[in-house]
Amino acid sequence: MPAPVYLDHAATTPVRAEVLAAMEPFYGPKFGNPSSMHRWGREARASLDEARERLAAALGASSDEIVFTSGGTECDNLAILGSWRLLREKGKRAVVTTPIEHKAILAATHQAHHEGAEERLLAVDGSGVVRDESFDALVRDDVAICSVMWVNNEIGTVQPIKKLAERAKSRGVLFHTDAVQAFGHIPVSAKTTPVDILSLSGHKIGAPKGIGAIYIRRGTFVEPLQFGGAQNRGVRPGTENVAAAVGLARAAELAVEELDTEMPKIRAMRDELQRELEARIPDAVVHASAAQRAPHILNISVPGTDSESMLLALDMSGVACSSGSACQSGSVDPSHVLEAIGVPRELAIAAVRMSLGSLTTPACVERVVQLFPALISKARRLSGVAS
Amino acid sequence: MTRERVLVAMSGGVDSSVAAALLVEQGYDVIGATMKLFCYGDSVPDRPCCSLDSIDDARRVCERLGIPHYVLNMEDAFGRDVLQNFVDEYARGRTPIPCVRCNSFTKFRDLLHKADALDAQWIATGHYARAENGELKRGQDPAKDQSYFLWGIDRSVVARMLLPVGALTKSETRARARALGLTVVAEKPESQDICFVPGGDHTVVLAKHLPAADAALSRGPIVLSDGRRVGEHEGFARFTIGQRRGLPGGYAQPMFVVAIRPADRAVVIGPRDELLGSGIVAREMNWLVADAPEVGAAVEVQVRHHAAPARAEIVRIEGDEIELALDEPVSAISPGQSLVIYRGERVLGGGVIEAGRAAGAERGTRARLPIFAA
Repeated sequence: MPAPVYLDHAATTPVRAEVLAAMEPFYGPKFGNPSSMHRWGREARASLDEARERLAAALGASSDEIVFTSGGTECDNLAILGSWRLLREKGKRAVVTTPIEHKAILAATHQAHHEGAEERLLAVDGSGVVRDESFDALVRDDVAICSVMWVNNEIGTVQPIKKLAERAKSRGVLFHTDAVQAFGHIPVSAKTTPVDILSLSGHKIGAPKGIGAIYIRRGTFVEPLQFGGAQNRGVRPGTENVAAAVGLARAAELAVEELDTEMPKIRAMRDELQRELEARIPDAVVHASAAQRAPHILNISVPGTDSESMLLALDMSGVACSSGSACQSGSVDPSHVLEAIGVPRELAIAAVRMSLGSLTTPACVERVVQLFPALISKARRLSGVAS
Repeated sequence: MTRERVLVAMSGGVDSSVAAALLVEQGYDVIGATMKLFCYGDSVPDRPCCSLDSIDDARRVCERLGIPHYVLNMEDAFGRDVLQNFVDEYARGRTPIPCVRCNSFTKFRDLLHKADALDAQWIATGHYARAENGELKRGQDPAKDQSYFLWGIDRSVVARMLLPVGALTKSETRARARALGLTVVAEKPESQDICFVPGGDHTVVLAKHLPAADAALSRGPIVLSDGRRVGEHEGFARFTIGQRRGLPGGYAQPMFVVAIRPADRAVVIGPRDELLGSGIVAREMNWLVADAPEVGAAVEVQVRHHAAPARAEIVRIEGDEIELALDEPVSAISPGQSLVIYRGERVLGGGVIEAGRAAGAERGTRARLPIFAA
């Protein structure tokens, strides 16, 4: 069998060699607890402070605006629930988000609803872009927090975050963005974009799983979700994962450094893949193709097939893709994102997400261009027999 | 030479786990699959869905066997073909066997399509039955034989089935599991419940899927077969023919449910001899052999799992409907249950029981009465 092809970088990425090298001393001699006063502690503290500074620089932020977390889900929960729980005391009564968010946001919003918040979902267009009139109608001064993801993880749609953040600000509403899929793929800067809170995850950009960071603009406060020591200024107590924080900082630096060189290549390969698949499968539908999309995501449905069977067949041929929305059990469920942007069910159940990244080469693209249409033909033949 | 590929339906139980292990031993290219058929949790999109322990167990077994494991979402099809039928049948006063339809439609049709997508020539399960030369046979262990539940699969599929534990007894299966180090599943207790009926109370499922005031779960009369009203019940769907539990007492002999009449919500009770039937009418007849028997043929039949086979003669075949006359009366022939026709070890075919004809009725007649249930 030809070499396996990994086209699921939006799910996770391999840890970069530079990142691993940067982390290694902290699994060895530099094992200290950054809260300790002795030399081991000081050494760890210095590295952690440096990591925070470097990550802040990569994000256009100050180091006191960065809190390390366990990953994107924790960031999202902290943003939604931390803001809601603080601001409900000040008379705010609603949480606003979109129906195409990651489940971390949707579930945290649902939890806020259980705690008394009104849950408002912004209307989106056929590509998932938030509709202005809906934003104007729902984002009023009674809103504790408004959260809109920068890049959608399933279809790649880029939201006009700068514009939305400015509008929220003009109404005195706190604005959060889940930038997990945006960072490292498109320019993301807290300096030029007036978001108040922003979520980052390490393992989408070549850092390990289990590390993330939340940017909280100076002057913005959230209630912590857990309690303990004074680490991260009490916002996120618990002994810091120094090694992973160092790894995240290194990965973020590299991502920013390489943005202008690597992403055009990724985009070119994605566009090539899309063009070739559309040429070979004339009735294929590429989701959100009308919108501005992040360079690494291609989500495609072919009528008469189903995601699950396609993903199995691709996996059997050594090609790793995703439907974009995996249930905890590992089964393939119909995507809430595609449903929310009005994709007919027969197309939604056929969606296959291909996401490119550091492991993608033109040869990978070529292989999928050959394989995917063949598997599609076979799936259609089988479903023809079945029906 | 490439190894032949087999897709094994793995529930996380000991039988299907050992089935997979045996196939690995026999040199097949084995792929494990667990079908996700329903969700206990809320289905709102932003809540995490249930992660059933059984799925985890199946995955751990596959990891141990060094084979891939997939979780296949078959909720929609299962809901349509099995769960909905289960609800509809109870609402009609019948007692369905969802496992039969799950085998016919979900496992050996829909899952087979997944096998096709994976280029798997074979499909395997942990059933105690045997598939040999394109024919289905009883399992080796008479105490565990599950052939009763398999009559509805398409005959062409039998030739693609592998049922490796059908040649074992249950204790042999457990011993194999222990020997293979499958400690996760080796000592799992046997589950007799229907998988989607938590706690074994089917009325919970019915209440969830039927309208609030549905007749099947509403109060109705308990009557004797002569029409005398002797009590009330809280919904005929709570009763099954042959049932004793929940009936009024004070009779000289034990009383059983002998019929359920949805038209007037009545549950008819009577003594044991009113349960006896000498004839059976079944529909949706499916034959699993090339030499299907014809009218006049002597066969053996079973009207429930674990019943001793009863001798019968086929008296009528019209389309997918069949009528048989029993040599000796059989107790509690329940509409909705399966009629399975055997000849020795071979499963010839089966159908869904439409009605039993009371002992004493003339065979083969179209008499409206005495048919047990409408």
